[in-house]
Amino acid sequence: MTSPLSGRRVLVVEDETMVAWLLEDMLADLGCAVVGPAARVNQALAMLDAEAIDAAVLDVNLNGQMSYPVADALAARGVPFVFSTGYNKVSLPNSYQSFPVLQKPFDRLKLGDTLAKLLTPEERGV
Amino acid sequence: MPNEENKSGAQKAAEAEVESFRKDLGPFVVAAETTRMAMVFTDAKEPYNPIIFANDSFLSLSGHDREEVLGQSFNFLMARGANPEALAEIEAAFEGSSGSDPEIRYRRKDGSVFWASIYISPVRDEGGDVVQHFASFMDLTKHKQEKDRLRFLLDELNHRTQNTLATVQAIAVQTLRGVADKEVVDAFEGRILALSKAHTLLGRENWDGVGLRDVIDQILQPFGLNDRRVARFSVEGEDVRLQPQAALTLAMVFHELATNAAKYGAFSNDAAGQIAIAWQVEPTPHGDRMRLRWQESGGPPVTPPGRKGFGSRLIESGLAQELDGEVRLDYELAGVVCQIVMAVPQGGGWMAP
Repeated sequence: MTSPLSGRRVLVVEDETMVAWLLEDMLADLGCAVVGPAARVNQALAMLDAEAIDAAVLDVNLNGQMSYPVADALAARGVPFVFSTGYNKVSLPNSYQSFPVLQKPFDRLKLGDTLAKLLTPEERGV
Repeated sequence: MPNEENKSGAQKAAEAEVESFRKDLGPFVVAAETTRMAMVFTDAKEPYNPIIFANDSFLSLSGHDREEVLGQSFNFLMARGANPEALAEIEAAFEGSSGSDPEIRYRRKDGSVFWASIYISPVRDEGGDVVQHFASFMDLTKHKQEKDRLRFLLDELNHRTQNTLATVQAIAVQTLRGVADKEVVDAFEGRILALSKAHTLLGRENWDGVGLRDVIDQILQPFGLNDRRVARFSVEGEDVRLQPQAALTLAMVFHELATNAAKYGAFSNDAAGQIAIAWQVEPTPHGDRMRLRWQESGGPPVTPPGRKGFGSRLIESGLAQELDGEVRLDYELAGVVCQIVMAVPQGGGWMAP
């Protein structure tokens, strides 16, 4: 069976350059094609319009600006995503609590598992 | 608004009573009137507990005029502005059945909010009957604001710590990429993640300390601690509250032991091996000490490593120095044994936060 991740296009939204590189490398190791990284909300929204995207890893706090508009746009398009954050999950507003969260620093096994779940339709929402 | 004509006889009597103890207790009444602590007296002989005295501090705290307060039922006045949970507590305090002083959030007449704790005590006559209730208010507004600010700063500190660890992870992986083996990168990431998990636990508990069981749970979970298919771990001992430094060090130690077990020890040969973790707390003349034993079994025959790596150095010297403890790491043929004796906080170690 081929990995559910191979060749999938994953948008990286992350404002810290080195952390973005790390995510790019981790995603490449998982067989994904990286879109981005986008460091700002408007950049991310523009990429969403311009590119085909299968899933996204979305930093919650982009240099002081919350990335919730990107989350809303992804949800509206039906693109699955995972938040990445150094905060505890409980600090997300209630309406975003149901989305998966990846804690920083990243556990590459968890990143792979979470994306595989998001990109395997029958397992979505499990 | 009450005036002389529509005051009840009972209320007039109560006011007369205040007048009489104003005469008897002169300096004390002046003190009650002028103290910065908000105070009221209520008439316990009336069923609705009317307020018969309120000092200026109470008026400025509550935002009411004296005429709006005197003769008013105390609970009714509180019910106007207090949060509903507090009202039941206030009632219990009046009946003397409350174990603690109620904390209320009160909305003043102008809509602004204050926090206060109320201390309610009965005033008895010579016969021992309760004739009045005395209620004093400790303004907690500043204290609450400071607490909120502290909460915010702690959240920020936790967030920045985790972000910094993510940056360190990124720098190391970028630096080592193509230079070091994947094994080295994995070992480094594993250690950073173990440190991060310990920080997450401590952040959740406001850096007050954390339970040993939580540390074990977080650190050993990736090694199959809660795997229901194969029970490879046994964990025995009453939970112990650890100081932050002890929690961080033990988290790293458990991570190193488990990593070693997965590479060379009990978990290196397809789920045949076991790890037993057990501890007790013993009182000693120098305070409580915990004896913890990590014992592997069922793995391949153990050979001691040729040189000391990061893991065994951390375990043998790091622990002893940081935890005021003693550590023995034995590479016994049947399985690695690590014995830790360390100081833990007094009283069985566990204190409710």
